[in-house]
Order: sequence, then structure tokens, then C-alpha cells
Amino acid sequence: MSHFSGNIADIGMDTISLSGTLPMKLHAVKEAGFSQIMLMARDLTGHAEGVTAAIKTVRASGLRVTGFQVLRDFEGLSGNLHDYKIDIAKSMLEMCAALGSKVLLVCSSTSIHASADRDLLAKDLRKLAMLALPLGIKVAYEGLSWGLHVNEFTHAWDVVCRADAPNLGLGFDSFHVFATKTSLDEIDTLDPDKIFLVQLADFMWQEIRSVEERITTARTFRVFPGEGVHSAQLAEVVTRLDRLGYRGDYSFEVFNDDYQQMPPATVAERAYRAALWLGENVLKRSVPIPGQIRLRARG
Amino acid sequence: MNSNREVPVDLANPLGLDGIEFIEYETSRPQALGQVIETMGFRPIARHRSREVLLYRQGDMNIIINAHDSEVPRRLQLSESPMIAAICLRVRDARAAYLRALERGAWAVPARVEVMELNIPSIHGVGASRIYFVDRYQDFSIYDVDFTRIPTVDPHPPALAEMHWFGIVQYIGSDRTGDWTEFYRELFGFEALPDEQRFGILPKGRVLKSPCQRFYLQLIAPNPEPFDGDREEMLQRVALGVPDVLAAVTLLRQRGVEFIESPGVHTEKRGALTQARLGGVMFELVQHTPA
Repeated sequence: MSHFSGNIADIGMDTISLSGTLPMKLHAVKEAGFSQIMLMARDLTGHAEGVTAAIKTVRASGLRVTGFQVLRDFEGLSGNLHDYKIDIAKSMLEMCAALGSKVLLVCSSTSIHASADRDLLAKDLRKLAMLALPLGIKVAYEGLSWGLHVNEFTHAWDVVCRADAPNLGLGFDSFHVFATKTSLDEIDTLDPDKIFLVQLADFMWQEIRSVEERITTARTFRVFPGEGVHSAQLAEVVTRLDRLGYRGDYSFEVFNDDYQQMPPATVAERAYRAALWLGENVLKRSVPIPGQIRLRARG
Repeated sequence: MNSNREVPVDLANPLGLDGIEFIEYETSRPQALGQVIETMGFRPIARHRSREVLLYRQGDMNIIINAHDSEVPRRLQLSESPMIAAICLRVRDARAAYLRALERGAWAVPARVEVMELNIPSIHGVGASRIYFVDRYQDFSIYDVDFTRIPTVDPHPPALAEMHWFGIVQYIGSDRTGDWTEFYRELFGFEALPDEQRFGILPKGRVLKSPCQRFYLQLIAPNPEPFDGDREEMLQRVALGVPDVLAAVTLLRQRGVEFIESPGVHTEKRGALTQARLGGVMFELVQHTPA
């Protein structure tokens, strides 16, 4: 590590920001100074030596796994489609557990086959939470800004409350909040203990006018916090979450085609600068005390 | 679909749960465990027809010792230290109970049945354990099909000191009390007891009451520690109810059972705890008179 160490143990990167193989990504993230990483199923299934070897590689890296993503178009289906998605969910949960990841990320459905009935969505998510429960996994439900019926974090929070399962909570992604212009005041209505993951990203333009543009921007033009034009809003999101009592992880959910053309080490260094910006400029944290112990929240 | 539309379903006991049919231990040293549970009053009754599995019994309690090393790849090989591998629950309709559990998010355990054996449905429980459902326990016994009785042995030995199932203690990870409470409520209809209502001499954690009111589950989390030290989750011990703990302890001591007598944990009228054998097998006695 070439630079000094900041107080950023709860901030991590996501493999989707980096090019290269899984070992290259893990190495770059660790070398940059991060202690955790968010993984996606494809990181394992696409590994040259197979899923078991990929899991060993992750475990040997010493990085903590922030969470595992992403189960899509799961809730609100019926009949064979529901059964099919339950099988997919089980497979994701098994990989998640094998990694030692405590969080599975689920995105709100974009499927035209899915019901709009929130009680039905809640029922399916409750079933997913029960499947995850013996494995010690929490399910974080995220309102994708192009989700068909659930596309704001307030909608997702409503479904989570209806489901009322202890290991089902909210996945909060700042990109979608800015894309749909949901009022940040709504953050104050959340229960901080039921936010299981916060993903942060900025982007380079003020307005996103259509759903199509949301998808393109989300998948190709996100940047790290502090690099885009929404830094002030992003700072407000993090400050509000911190004030609310959120003490979980922050993960940089940054999809960017340009970053895919840069060496992973260079991208990881940019991410580290973003983490320092968050830790020191936004959350105003002091530098870590040598030998500091991070105490568990009281359960 | 709704074939029982005219049969009233007891909302408080949706599966028609009716107590524990058996507790199953797994070990690679079945004889050693057999000796331990024989000192507790259990008697060998029958052998499984196709596997290295023994049935022990006293009173209404059945214990199965499974030493069958499955050919199916397992997460854990059989260990010398016995572990509680399964709880078998008596229910009104095993198939309905199993399907209801799956519908609510339980994991099915693939059946491994030999010809002419019963296919007892089961779901995954805590750690590597399973939860079975049986509905044939009154006029017909599941053991009549899968087991061969050991000749000359009384198939119904009376219980020592009126021992009966009282409950099972489950160790859970940190901050998992809410999770496991919900698991047992959602799938079986268990309800948490108020914190001031406890039994025996080890009142830690949360106690869940079965909807049939015939047994309890006790969830125990690790002591708070500053470091992440999540302990493995598992079924840790069985608790046996007895009307008179002191008389039961005297009787069991005569049979060679040793109890923990320390300043913190020792024999009282309310309960007692046997010393761990074979790397962790222990039994708790709890003062309790069956209704």
C-alpha cells in the first residue's frame, strides 16, 4: 500500500467495476487498501477453474465478502415460473453460503409476468428469507429504478415491512434514488437495523429523462462517489443514513465501461480515493487508532 | 386442492403437532453412545433392516443411533463425537406438513429410501440437522416397517423416574434469536415464552413452546464478545422432564451417570445437567410433570 490508511473498514468495492479475472480483481482491491468486496455470481461461475476453486480463492484472499448479487425477477411470479425462480434462488443461496457471505442482494422485478400486488411480492420475499435463514444469510431487497412495480426505495421498504421477516431488509442503492428523484427525507422513515446493504455510486449528468436512459446510465456510466455531479446529494444520503443509525457496509456499485478499459489497480486506487473522501470529508471520521477493535452493535 | 375445507384447522397448531417421535444421533462409534444412553435408562429395541442404525427406547421416548456412513457425499463425515442429527415430529398428516413447510421456504432433504422402506419426509434444520415428519405413531409404528426387533427384549421398557421428552437446546449464532424464533413460528407454530418464564437450572436464551404444548426449544446465543466469534449452530443437547429431579439424579448416579456439580451449575430441585461424554453428549433434567 503506497498511501496512508483511512478509517474505511466498512467501505468496499464491487467486482463489477473491474476488468480481468477474479484473482486479479481480488488482488487489486486488497492492494488498494480495502478489506471487503461485493461479489456477483458470475465471478464464481466464470472462474477458469470452476466455482469451488473460485470460492477457495476468495476465502484465501482474506477479503470479507460484503454481499453476493444478484437474484433478479424473483418475486410476484406464479406456477412454474415461481418454482423455477425458487430453484435459482436456492442455487444463489448455496453459493452465497459457501463464500461466507452474509447478504444476498435481490433486485425488484422487471418481469411483465410479475404481479403488482405488494402482499404477494411480500409473501414471496418472506419465503426467500426463510430459505436463507438456516444458512445465516440476510436478504437485501432493492428497488431497481426500472423495476416494473417496485422502483423506488420507498416501495421496496413497504414490501419489506409487509413481509415482516427478521432476515429480510432493504438494499439501498444511491443511483436509483437519484435516478427517480425520490425525496431524501424518506430516508428518515427507515429502520436502520433493517437496512442490510448500502450501495453508492455517482454519475456524470444531472438529468435522466427516460427509463431506457436510466438503464444505459446505470450499466455503463456510473462513477465513484465524489467523481460525478451528485457529490453533494451523495454526501447527504450518507450523512442521513449515518445519523439515522446505520452501521452496516457501504459498497461502491459502479458500472463503468471506461473503467473496464483501465488496469484494475488504477480503478481500485480511484475507488480508494472515493472511500477516503467519504470517510474523512463526509463522515468526518478520525484516523483509526492502532490496534483498534470495532465493537459489535448490540443485538 | 382444498380437500379439508370442512375440517377445522387449528390455527394455533397448523400441523397438528403432537410431540417428538424420536431424536436421532449420528456417530461413527454407535456402541460407545449406546452405552451412554443405556446408563440414562434407554434400552436397545430393534435394528434397521438395511443400515447400521439402532433404535433405543424408554417409556414414550425413542432414540435412534445412526452409524450408517452414507455413500452420498456429505458436508460432514460421521464424527466420533455424536451429534444430534435429527428431530422427528409427530404430526396429523406428514405429507401435508412437509408440503406446507416447503411452501413456506423450507429446504427439502432428498429421500434415500431402500426398497420396502418408509419414505419419511424431512426438511433441513439447524446446521447439518434434519426435521422429520411422521403421522403413523398410534395404531401403527414406523419401526415395524424399517426395523427388526431384537429377540427377547421388552419392546416397551418403562421410563426410569418417569422421564419424558422436555425439549431440545439449540446453539445459535450471534444476533440470530429473532431469525430462529421466526423459523420455528413460521414452519411449525412455536411461540416464544416471556423472558421471566424459564425451566430448569440453565435459563439462558429464549424458550419456544411447541403448539402442542408438549415440548420446548431453547435457543442459546454465544456470550457477547468484542471479536467476531460466531459459534457453529447446532442441536446441542436434549432435556428430559422428571417429576422429582433429586430422586432421578440419585437413581441415575447409581447407574453410573455423573452430574455437573460446580458453583454455577449444580443439581437442584429444578434441574440437573449430566457431565459431557464422548466429546459433548449431555442430558439436562428439568423438573416437570406431564399434563
